[in-house]
Amino acid sequence: MDPLAQRKIYSVQEVTAEIKQALDHFGVLWVQGEISNFKHHTSGHMYFSLKDDRAQLRAACFRNNNMYLKFRPEDGLEVLVRGRISVYEPRGDYQILVEFMEPVGLGSLQLAFEKLKQKLRDEGLFDESHKVRLPLLPRKVGIVTSPTGAAIQDMLRILDRRNASLDILIYPARVQGAGAAEEIAAGVKYFNGRDDIDVIIVTRGGGSMEDLWAFNEEVVARAIHDAERPVISAVGHEVDFTIADFVADLRAPTPSAAAELVSGAREELKATVSSLTRRTLQAARLLLARRRAALERAARNRAFQIAPNKVHELQQRFDEATLRTTQSMMKYQTALRHRERVLQVRLSKVDLRRNIAGDREVLTGKRTRLQAAAGRQLQRWRSRLELDMGRIHALSPLAILDRGYAICRDQQGAILRHADRTAPGDRVDVRLAQGELGCRVEQIRN
Amino acid sequence: MKDFEGSLKQLEEIVSKLEGGDLTLDQALELFEEGIKLSRYCNAKLEEAERKVETLIKSADGSLVEAPFTAEGDEARK
Repeated sequence: MDPLAQRKIYSVQEVTAEIKQALDHFGVLWVQGEISNFKHHTSGHMYFSLKDDRAQLRAACFRNNNMYLKFRPEDGLEVLVRGRISVYEPRGDYQILVEFMEPVGLGSLQLAFEKLKQKLRDEGLFDESHKVRLPLLPRKVGIVTSPTGAAIQDMLRILDRRNASLDILIYPARVQGAGAAEEIAAGVKYFNGRDDIDVIIVTRGGGSMEDLWAFNEEVVARAIHDAERPVISAVGHEVDFTIADFVADLRAPTPSAAAELVSGAREELKATVSSLTRRTLQAARLLLARRRAALERAARNRAFQIAPNKVHELQQRFDEATLRTTQSMMKYQTALRHRERVLQVRLSKVDLRRNIAGDREVLTGKRTRLQAAAGRQLQRWRSRLELDMGRIHALSPLAILDRGYAICRDQQGAILRHADRTAPGDRVDVRLAQGELGCRVEQIRN
Repeated sequence: MKDFEGSLKQLEEIVSKLEGGDLTLDQALELFEEGIKLSRYCNAKLEEAERKVETLIKSADGSLVEAPFTAEGDEARK
């Protein structure tokens, strides 16, 4: 038999087709290697080789697969690719058709994140000098978020629980997927353009890095940076950091924490104000007490035994006036606080969506009346106290001597009120405002 | 209209003056009264807002208008 007849003779096309078929058995595979000879063709397709120190594998990544890559492949980059081995028949080359690839070590999103972070940091967008302080007492907060998301629910729950007096305005924005970043940026710009918004919050609940991606987009970072109002970024959970967090004036680890940040200061301030009020009252009381002590010292002086009962009586009245002033102020403060709390509770029970102007008027009216009454009361205490002080001063022995009177005592120390209680030749002591005279009686005139 | 931060600072100054002593009764009473007035003002400011919750919606002509916020969670919050 002709050995040649036994031979199967392939055409080039046939053998290539069989190789192609054989290679198809590999199915989908993952290959790790370094990119070399990278070409991004004008058609949008990418052509390159994967290599390690012993071999090379040609690779192609078509436009429809590479348009979603979160990083830019380049020579020297170590990547992990997923694809199928295929044969390019016109050239007899085999190659891997890449459907997906990511840099090894860092995920592709992570890499894009790091790159943008570095870029914006170099531009100075994260500089502390750009950061604006939160106002002590924000009145109206603009929140850019999804109106149906968990974040806004969490925040409103916290504000409710803390009974925070804050107005909230929501800018509804998609917080993930295509177009989300642009909507978030537009929200920040919108709030920044209003003059009644004290703080802007950009927020969304937790999710994967892909879910949170909108907050890593440059357009969001720029909008936050350009905003003159303070911006709080509250994205995902504690562990999630986004570019928005770095640019924002303040990063809140969670949406709830952001709510605490805008309402927390208020609680602290309430404590500060009541402590200052307490100290005002205490200082005033102390001052009055010191006056009283001085008066008591004067009264105790053995030389001034004038009308001790009168002085004691005045002292008592003085004490009472002091007590009235301070204690009543305390009581008044407590009463006012209590009243406000009661009204506040009533207000908070009113449906938030209802117009509460009516209740507000009632509250304002009551508060005004309370304050007016308290003001009148304070004025009365003050005049009474001044009157008492005037009386005390007028009757004080020191004041009498100051006016030029003198006190004359006999040798037993008894105050002399009648000239005939002495005889010529008796020694008497005369107390003046400053100093004392030792005298002898020369003549008695009745 | 003085603002909250300014009033708070003023109140702090008054307290340190009062605590420093060395005042006539008149001065003390005046400071005291002013302090109480400031404390009242600050307290009022702290309680002032109504906690209105609103959302922006697009009106027919494309501009944004404010409307009361009603989310699914609203029922639960009552």
